Amino acid sequence: MEILARLVFGFYAALIVSGALMAVVERGLVRSLVGLIATMFGVAGLYMLMAAPFVAFMQILIYVGGVSILIFFSIMLTKARPTGDEAKGRPLRKRFNALVTALAAGVVLASVILKFPIPSLETPRQVSGQQLGEGLLGPYLLPFELISVVLFVAMAAAVALAWQQWGKSK
Amino acid sequence: MEATLLDPRMFRIVAAAMALAAFVGLNALVLVYLERKIAGHVQRRPGPFEVGPHGLLQPLADALKLIGKQLFRPAGADALLFWMAPVVSFIPVLPLFLPIPFDPDLVAMHVEPGLLLILAFTGINVLALCMAGWGSNNKWSLLGASRAVAQSVAYEIPLLMALLAVTFMHGSLNLSEIVEAQGAWPWQWNAFIQPVAFIVYFTCAVAETNRAPFDLPEAESELTAGFHTEYSGMGFGLFFLAEYANMIVVCAVATALFLGGWQGPFFSGWWWFLAKTYALLMVIIWFRWTYPRVRFDQLLNINWKWLLPLSMVNLMVTALVMKLF
Repeated sequence: MEILARLVFGFYAALIVSGALMAVVERGLVRSLVGLIATMFGVAGLYMLMAAPFVAFMQILIYVGGVSILIFFSIMLTKARPTGDEAKGRPLRKRFNALVTALAAGVVLASVILKFPIPSLETPRQVSGQQLGEGLLGPYLLPFELISVVLFVAMAAAVALAWQQWGKSK
Repeated sequence: MEATLLDPRMFRIVAAAMALAAFVGLNALVLVYLERKIAGHVQRRPGPFEVGPHGLLQPLADALKLIGKQLFRPAGADALLFWMAPVVSFIPVLPLFLPIPFDPDLVAMHVEPGLLLILAFTGINVLALCMAGWGSNNKWSLLGASRAVAQSVAYEIPLLMALLAVTFMHGSLNLSEIVEAQGAWPWQWNAFIQPVAFIVYFTCAVAETNRAPFDLPEAESELTAGFHTEYSGMGFGLFFLAEYANMIVVCAVATALFLGGWQGPFFSGWWWFLAKTYALLMVIIWFRWTYPRVRFDQLLNINWKWLLPLSMVNLMVTALVMKLF
């Protein structure tokens, strides 16, 4: 089973990395989005591997089924052409800078984690939905409620903006 | 717990996946036949009649025709998106069937948050429609895709809220547990206890599966065929299979959550589950041939002005009643 788990981990990791690369490298906005979605799927798979099906399904429900579709919607609204500005090639200097920046973050984080491994369980522990709910409404009540406040502010702001636009167009 | 590739659990998963794939394919054949027959009788004509007795082999002929057709890609279409879309539309169908309890023992996989799995994977279908619409390089396809997005984003909210009201009552996301909590008689079913949730769920389910009267993303009379205008052969076939499979899933979920699942007044078993699911499927087909297609603004108005407030009130009343009594 351990070999299988490693194989599956390798598969998801490859999916995440290749999806992320596709999101950055591809010319068309929609193709980039497809890369991003692949990455989100990979992350959901990793949650699954950590015996957290609830979080994994939430990841798919919210990110793949919700956020990415909203991004799609906004791409359609921007009338992005596959031959638009972002489709032009970038100078070599910029590519080099981007590579160095990405690698720097990756190398620093990876070396820290390799040097000081996070203490964790040998095999992941299954947490039932009920325990999760009790946790969110017990010890983690404040962050949970704060998130809902943040979401409310975002929603109210979106409505206010749309309202202004609507007033202008009338 | 040592587990290898020859583990019985592994074997069970593989066997279940194969059985489900066969189930999806067979059901698509049956549903195509039913759809055409019902359409025929609603319009006072016999429907398919030539291939086999009473046209029984018509779906097979249709399937063979679809498989035999050449696959075309329009010039200027994005090859990756264009060919990925039908596959992305069909692949999530198999995990969707995993947690559906046809019988106390006839479950492919006991998933604790089974309902959540179904909700998560049904959302991927819209993504496939978007990819098809965008990748086809065709204005009808793109219009269909943008409609699909607006529609599914809107209708997903009341759908989730209606289901939330039921899960509130049972304190579980496991479909088998919710079925067991309901009784054998119709007045013990959740459809009787939660009629508003049932109606909201069923309406939203019809809209989420893009069935008439909510089939705006493909509206033949306006958009040629909407998002799948440019697909021929099995490209279209996969979208079609996925649509029918999604119909079965939403009806199976409705059966499990609202109609007591496999339990019936006598001889409880998987036949009750299938009978109830098929009854709901017939209702959906009946809708299609009875109601005219709604206009797009009507579609969104129904959702935002009626279904959403209704489901919210229903949820709050459920929570209140649960706490007080």
